[in-house]
Amino acid sequence: MLAYVTVGSTGFDQLIGAISTPAFLRALSSRGFRRLVVQYGSSSKSFNPPSRVPETLGLSIEHFDYTRWPQQYVDNADLIISHAGTGSILEALHAGKPTIVVPNHDLMDAHQAEIAEELAHGGYLLVTEAELLHRVVEEGGFAGLAPYPHADPRLIGEILDEETI
Amino acid sequence: MPLWLYILTAITGCTALVALRLYYILPIFTHNKARSIIRRKGKGARLPAKKILCVVLGSGGHTAEMTRLLQGVDFDRYNQRLYIVGDTDHLSMDQIGGTLEGSRDPLTEDYIVCRVPRSRAVGQSWWTSVLTAVHCFVCVCRHMYLNTPDVVLCNGPGNCVVVGVVAWVPRVLGIKRIPVVYIESFARVWSLSLSGKIMYLLADRFIVQWPGLVQNYPRAEYIPNLV
Repeated sequence: MLAYVTVGSTGFDQLIGAISTPAFLRALSSRGFRRLVVQYGSSSKSFNPPSRVPETLGLSIEHFDYTRWPQQYVDNADLIISHAGTGSILEALHAGKPTIVVPNHDLMDAHQAEIAEELAHGGYLLVTEAELLHRVVEEGGFAGLAPYPHADPRLIGEILDEETI
Repeated sequence: MPLWLYILTAITGCTALVALRLYYILPIFTHNKARSIIRRKGKGARLPAKKILCVVLGSGGHTAEMTRLLQGVDFDRYNQRLYIVGDTDHLSMDQIGGTLEGSRDPLTEDYIVCRVPRSRAVGQSWWTSVLTAVHCFVCVCRHMYLNTPDVVLCNGPGNCVVVGVVAWVPRVLGIKRIPVVYIESFARVWSLSLSGKIMYLLADRFIVQWPGLVQNYPRAEYIPNLV
């Protein structure tokens, strides 16, 4: 099983720090995950998993700052842990993957947290804080999330047609 | 009568005429009437072929959403696209050649890209942003005059306000009605963006993606699961 962590086009030190902790790696392992892929953006300094722990847990870790083909990781993932960027959230949900979102409260844009909260309210994803992430993974609640409805932008085409009659 | 009084009378007269004209055509004053007519005509009417669609692209998030929205638009009918892109926005430029146009049927591939100066950079001072907005306005005017679109589709970057205003010029003058369709970003759950607040006054159709926005903005149409 593969877990994919992504912070999008910027960085997110708290999240990358949190997924580097032994507690988080242990939680992943206890849920049966054997692979962890980390896209850490500009937060490479925060990415410092303990050297021994992954081996004893049987967990292999791949990491990189950015990739041109994030879709392959999204498609193969059994769990996505993401920052609250709209693009990343929609990609994860449309791929039908269990998703845990950690909003970055350091950003000026408070709307990121709003949309994550709203989607969590609908039961489509889980929202948590970086410090609590290992607990949320351990509890395994991500397995019972509701499937997100397919996007249907055809109404936009119809609206354009109505306006240009 | 002194000269200044003539000038003052002329200015007041012109302003009053423009105001009256705006009162009769701005969607914020006329929406109920106008929309019911459009709806009735829309039912079962045959679609006249071939339209020019103007798409406003902006920064990354907006462009990503617009890419998804355009999946619902029939490029066979809107057989020419006029993309208005900020000149610093290289990511959107890549997107047009790639996901927006490249993945479509090459037979319907007929589009023009217009690069305009960015209307307002982040952190720009108020005074210089007026100048750049005017510069942007002139560029958009030129492009839209050369390739007059039949409808404008935009979803929130700062440039769309300028394009929205330009699209209104021929309507105010009674030359051509260029309808403006605005889709507020998926990221706005409870409040509109600054572009959204302005476009609420200008757009013929104002689409929001979360139900909470309809309470404060009754003219908005709520459509879920667009992106």
